[in-house]
Amino acid sequence: MDEAKPPIPEAPAPADTLAGSPPAGADAAAPTGPGGVVRRGLDRASGSYRAMGTLFAVGLIWLFFSLKSEYFFTSENIFNIFLQASSVGIIAAGLTVVLISAEIDLSIGSLQALSGSVAAVIIIQHGLPIWAGIVGGLGATVLAGAVSGLLTWKLKIVSFISTLAMLGIAQGVALLLTNGTAIAGFGPTYALIGTYTYRGFPGAAVIAIVVFVVIHLMLTRTKLGLQIYAVGGNAEAAEFAGIRSGRVKLVALMISGLTAGIGGLIISSRLDAGNGLFGANDLLAAVAAVVIGGTSLFGGVGSVVGTAIGVIMIASINDGLILINVPDFWQQIVIGCIIIGAMAVDQLTKAARLSVL
Amino acid sequence: MTADTPSTSAPVLEAPVLEARGISKSYGAVRALTGVDLQLYPGEVLGLVGDNGAGKTTLVKCLSGVHRADAGEIVIDGEVRPGLTADLARTLGVETVYQNLSLVDTLDVMQNFFLNRELMYGNPVARALGWMNRRRMVRETTERLQELELAVDARRPVAALSGGQRQMVAVARAITWGRHIVMLDEPAAALGVRQSVQVLSFIRSMAERGVAVLFISHNMQHVLQVTDRIVVLRHGEKVGDLRTADASAQEIVTLITGSDLVVKGQDIAV
Repeated sequence: MDEAKPPIPEAPAPADTLAGSPPAGADAAAPTGPGGVVRRGLDRASGSYRAMGTLFAVGLIWLFFSLKSEYFFTSENIFNIFLQASSVGIIAAGLTVVLISAEIDLSIGSLQALSGSVAAVIIIQHGLPIWAGIVGGLGATVLAGAVSGLLTWKLKIVSFISTLAMLGIAQGVALLLTNGTAIAGFGPTYALIGTYTYRGFPGAAVIAIVVFVVIHLMLTRTKLGLQIYAVGGNAEAAEFAGIRSGRVKLVALMISGLTAGIGGLIISSRLDAGNGLFGANDLLAAVAAVVIGGTSLFGGVGSVVGTAIGVIMIASINDGLILINVPDFWQQIVIGCIIIGAMAVDQLTKAARLSVL
Repeated sequence: MTADTPSTSAPVLEAPVLEARGISKSYGAVRALTGVDLQLYPGEVLGLVGDNGAGKTTLVKCLSGVHRADAGEIVIDGEVRPGLTADLARTLGVETVYQNLSLVDTLDVMQNFFLNRELMYGNPVARALGWMNRRRMVRETTERLQELELAVDARRPVAALSGGQRQMVAVARAITWGRHIVMLDEPAAALGVRQSVQVLSFIRSMAERGVAVLFISHNMQHVLQVTDRIVVLRHGEKVGDLRTADASAQEIVTLITGSDLVVKGQDIAV
């Protein structure tokens, strides 16, 4: 019966797969077979198709606003979009890591306020050097991320709750530190963090790009990155492979704490003050950017490349709406609608993709 | 224990590589295992059989460090391992295929193959950063899949594979890394006839290389075909430990079900 098998099903099989042993090979090849090449193409490309689609949408948005406002497509305004995108982008990058690990960080907005406030207290009130303020600000938010992560790991409090609690605590601490007011007057050197430009290109955007590149490489090239994807995709299987998922999630939340700290420093530098409210409202925009970027809220799937495109989209819309004189309040409504739209597209295309596979 | 040793088959003269001594485990009020002893020798295939809920999977999970036994000792290579974890077991050369396969669907085949044993570039900086040599991992996975005659792309997400392919990938991973002790919990459950035969031949060739294999299956034919020795669990207790050559399907089914169900059991088994 072995001799009878080969001729028909074997013929179209790709030549490079298996040289010898027709019987076993023929059977194993059947499920993938010639159609496997197409299916594999779909798997590989589905992520980048999505990114292309999002990029195309950004193009449409830019075209729309360019037609509505002659000022939109100027280098000055494009640089401004990058500047606006940078602080939200940085926290969205950290949030992407947490979501891939199948957790969430709701505290990132508050943590921005915390790092700026801590830096203001250290530098302005105590007159300590700038580096001390930066270390203190970032240290506070990394610590906050670690606390959320430990609560999630050791006490099994879901991160939705532990980081929601941290949202309140961090903002409360920031308000206490600043006594509810804005502590202003960092001076010109600190101001460079958020306001330096080279031929109009904002330095803060360079910081954001560095953060994105580092996180992208971490996720795709390092053992830690693979563990984050593994834990988010199937924590039990990761545990069976000897990975301690709680620890990986702790690291993810600390990364998110760090990026929130960086975002907060940039905001405080740009506003030349630390305050318990600065940056606290960025959570919505960050979640929107991550979701638009195709990162799954259920973990295991996502990339900061998608998030970067999502951030640019949100910043472009905010910027464009201001240019065409739409009242501020509409921004939040539009962002909310975009979140819904992105999720709807995902759900609809998921059904379509599954039927293809 | 000493009583068992002479009864085990001829090639087994060495000390056991894996030994369970008086393992007990409860889940709340449910007693899953009661004082189970078990020895696994190099180069032998040990069948672990029993009805649903007899404690086979629980025993494997205790032996692989995923669960902590409430009482008893696990001895690997002559050394008692009181704080055995999944990570430590793997380091000691214990590889396991669980019933639910324990693959991460969102990762591709290569990533599952090398999960938590990633290959790094040689230089110290790369090592410190945990910088993976992806190209080499893809190459080695592809080579391995070809050796095992699996026509699966190393970069394909596991979610896109068929049930049989997933099972084969899980088995292939265990075979690849299990240089010492391999435990397989129902490795042929979702497989077609031809692939089952392939898995059984993998198991035999592993044992011939000196690997100690623990094989759980409900399929009496498979068990009789591939094992050297069979341990039977019933209600969490060991009720039989016999050489396959001396055993008949009837006898094993009797042990599995308890004597009052012999006649029925025979019908099912044959």
